[in-house]
Amino acid sequence: MAVDKEELKKKILEYATKKAKFKSKMYIKDLYKADPNAKPREVKNAANELVKENKLEYFSSGSTTMYGVPGFGNPEQE
Amino acid sequence: MSLLDISMYKDDPGFDVSELMEKPYDPEFADKNYNPDKPMENRITDIGPPHYAQFFPEVIKKNYGEWKSHEFIQPGVIKYTSESGDVCYVVRCGLPRILTTNLMREICDIADKYSGGIARWTTRNNVEFHVTDEGTLRELIDFLKNFKHPGGSYKLPIGGTGACISNIVHTQGWIHCHTPATDASGLVKSTADEIFEYFGSHKLPAKLRISMACCLNMCGAVHCSDIAMLGVHRKPPFVEDERIGKVCEIPLVVAACPLGAIKPATVEINGQKYKTVRMNWDRCMFCGNCYTMCQAVPLADAEGDGVAILVGGKISNRITTPKFSKLIVPYIPNEPPRWPSVTKVVKRIVEAYAKDAHKYERLGDWAARIGWERFYEKCDIPFSEKSIDDYRLAYDTYHTTTQFKWSTHTDNL
Amino acid sequence: MADLKKHDTPMVDELKKGPWSSFADDLQTRGDSGSQACLDLLGQLELSYKDKETHWKHGGIVGVFGYGGGVIGRYSDQPDKFPAIAAFHTLRINQPASKFYSTKFLRKLCDMWDHRGSGVFNFHGSTGDTVMIGTTTEQLEPIFFDLTHQFDMDLGGSGSNLRTPSCCIGRARCEFSCLDTQAICYDLTMTYQDELHRPAFPYKYKFKISGCPNDCVAAIARSCCAIIGTWRDEIRIDQKAVQAYVNGELKPNAGAFSDRDWGPFDIQKEVIDLCPSKCMYWDGKELKIDNRECTRCMHCINVMPEALRPGLDVGATILSGAKAPILEGAQMSTLIIPFMRMEYPYDEIKELTDLIWDWWMEEGRNRERLGELIQRKGLPTYLRIIKRKPIPQMVKEPRSNPYVFWKEEEVPGGWTRSLEEFRKKHLA
Repeated sequence: MAVDKEELKKKILEYATKKAKFKSKMYIKDLYKADPNAKPREVKNAANELVKENKLEYFSSGSTTMYGVPGFGNPEQE
Repeated sequence: MSLLDISMYKDDPGFDVSELMEKPYDPEFADKNYNPDKPMENRITDIGPPHYAQFFPEVIKKNYGEWKSHEFIQPGVIKYTSESGDVCYVVRCGLPRILTTNLMREICDIADKYSGGIARWTTRNNVEFHVTDEGTLRELIDFLKNFKHPGGSYKLPIGGTGACISNIVHTQGWIHCHTPATDASGLVKSTADEIFEYFGSHKLPAKLRISMACCLNMCGAVHCSDIAMLGVHRKPPFVEDERIGKVCEIPLVVAACPLGAIKPATVEINGQKYKTVRMNWDRCMFCGNCYTMCQAVPLADAEGDGVAILVGGKISNRITTPKFSKLIVPYIPNEPPRWPSVTKVVKRIVEAYAKDAHKYERLGDWAARIGWERFYEKCDIPFSEKSIDDYRLAYDTYHTTTQFKWSTHTDNL
Repeated sequence: MADLKKHDTPMVDELKKGPWSSFADDLQTRGDSGSQACLDLLGQLELSYKDKETHWKHGGIVGVFGYGGGVIGRYSDQPDKFPAIAAFHTLRINQPASKFYSTKFLRKLCDMWDHRGSGVFNFHGSTGDTVMIGTTTEQLEPIFFDLTHQFDMDLGGSGSNLRTPSCCIGRARCEFSCLDTQAICYDLTMTYQDELHRPAFPYKYKFKISGCPNDCVAAIARSCCAIIGTWRDEIRIDQKAVQAYVNGELKPNAGAFSDRDWGPFDIQKEVIDLCPSKCMYWDGKELKIDNRECTRCMHCINVMPEALRPGLDVGATILSGAKAPILEGAQMSTLIIPFMRMEYPYDEIKELTDLIWDWWMEEGRNRERLGELIQRKGLPTYLRIIKRKPIPQMVKEPRSNPYVFWKEEEVPGGWTRSLEEFRKKHLA
């Protein structure tokens, strides 16, 4: 029972935007919570598509990569 | 008959880059064609690496999967013979892992002149030149023997084969890393100078692999090396109370500690409240994982940082199974630029091993055979409490037998 | 070029002495020929030698659009003193499998890197990537554009991605190789381009492929999925060549011990007695191997390569979950599949990988490597996930504690029972 991708993207974006006010960087695991019915791989694919659409962005420290919402986060973080 | 079958990849973008390589680099291409406002325009993604086979020398394409045997005709020079009767000589040269376009262009000049325009790198950062006739081989070797830097070092020393100490693999250190407890390039250069005679010779009992990582992250995995040099911190991190809340996510910092030594906290400075963390220093094992996750808890320190030595690891399944390296010397201070105390210990271990081990016996197998008490004695290294494990699964390393050897450690009991 | 600013670097200059190839001299030469970045790099290294501390700051957030890996940010904490390296980011470029390059390719890469970066490389990064050290944030997109358009090259992995797979020299040159290591490496790399470039996992994931149990790419120590060549049939023996070794006509171990007098070659002492499973016999005329008892350690083959060769029924042993010490301590890979055929299109390893990833993505904690998850959940759980039967090859020895986690369905009658009936038989 694959979830609808566009629907999932909407849910992820809503969830991430809500979260971003408190926590500007999210692990992929945090995004799973956007839709408990979606499989990890579906969430990953949807989230990565959102990045391509400029709606989410990556934060990579080199060792780990996290997601953020453009516009949120700390200006001091280069 | 070559076993090289690559037809299934012929439609991949990087299958044949020869046409692209005929065109010189166009420095203006990206400036003209890349539009920052429309990053997806003309964008190419997910094409992967260029296909490997197009860079093979002809003799390798022709004899792929048909090699019959190899021989080290002298240290650093390998002769490969194919079922077809074809022969390929490989000259292996040491090289610092960090190199500039200058030295790279010189390597290209050598490859163009002697090895058909192809160079190959090994897992241990050596560079290799392939030639097919003995005359060219001799000319290349003669050339390399006199190919030196202004300071007198060999640009491309020949060696790294057989019962030798091959190139020391290492990490970035102070030359390009933000978490190191020591330098890598300088320490490795100093050590490589000290044991240089073993790079270009076949006189050890077996191969001996030295590796170097400048912090516990071990981005160059050194945990299974005959001898490992490892940068270690010994002071717990600072906490920058006024900055940490701005630049880091507090829960991530707390979660970063494997021993649960970091707790969230709020402090008041000049009447202003700051969200920050507090650390239980007694629990800190100086792994630096918190600093990896957050730049507001730096732990580098001139007095605190230094080098630990671990020995006896191996990767190969030959005779005995793969082994972890064991911590022999917990700490030696940083002594740039030459690290004499570190190189002295390394050389002492190498020489004790070279003198005492059986043929084919790796360093860890030698130490296991003679017993660790004897290892410390023969290497003249003091045994320290710090070498006794008290982390997870520590009990596995304790001696639970009456079988031990008398050594200097028991002589005065 | 007239404006080059040289720093006073007496300690770094010490490293130009001695026989081993000097990185300091290389950087100096490049610096003197017009690269302020190389001169500043030496200057900052000198400062680190004085302070005994690094002067690089935490990376910060840089990358190319749409990719979650391949670029690692780096800034100097002394930008006023060393402006040419104020921003000095790293790019990881996916290397061609087993690292052969044409000089045309390398020269063009040098031209690009001198134009858009510092001219400093790592050949190669520990994982295997072709690494370019030192450029500014503004140059990242143009470099990526150049790489993909002018080189047919792509970035490698970093962050919570699949890391760039790597392999040994394999059949390109080595007679021991039981696998087409480059082909497997290339095929997996191409199959998993999305996972390589975009975050997918709790943490990093590594494939490494070695052609035989000598494991020249250290797969067993540092990959989540180690693919190591092996064989199922008999070691091929050329008895004449064995005699030639015994008679001293051939050099043991292909000449690897040539600079020391170890005495005449003694097949009994050097081969038969060192065999870990003692499965070899030498009667003075003929070498016999009980192949069923052989553990394929490679020692006899390494010592007498002209006489002994791996069998012809080849495939891979698959091991899971190696990692360096951070955080739970170092782990070696655990044997999970003794033998898997490795033929194009490598469906079996890909099906296995899907099972592993689905489980790890679901169950893995943030920054938890596969090996740590296996440790936390136990090997039996892992085997159920990857649909493999437990066999004795997977353990060094059976457990010595009796604390078995029996499942209810394994016990006749289940766990629910009548206390009443029990007490009828046993007074309280």
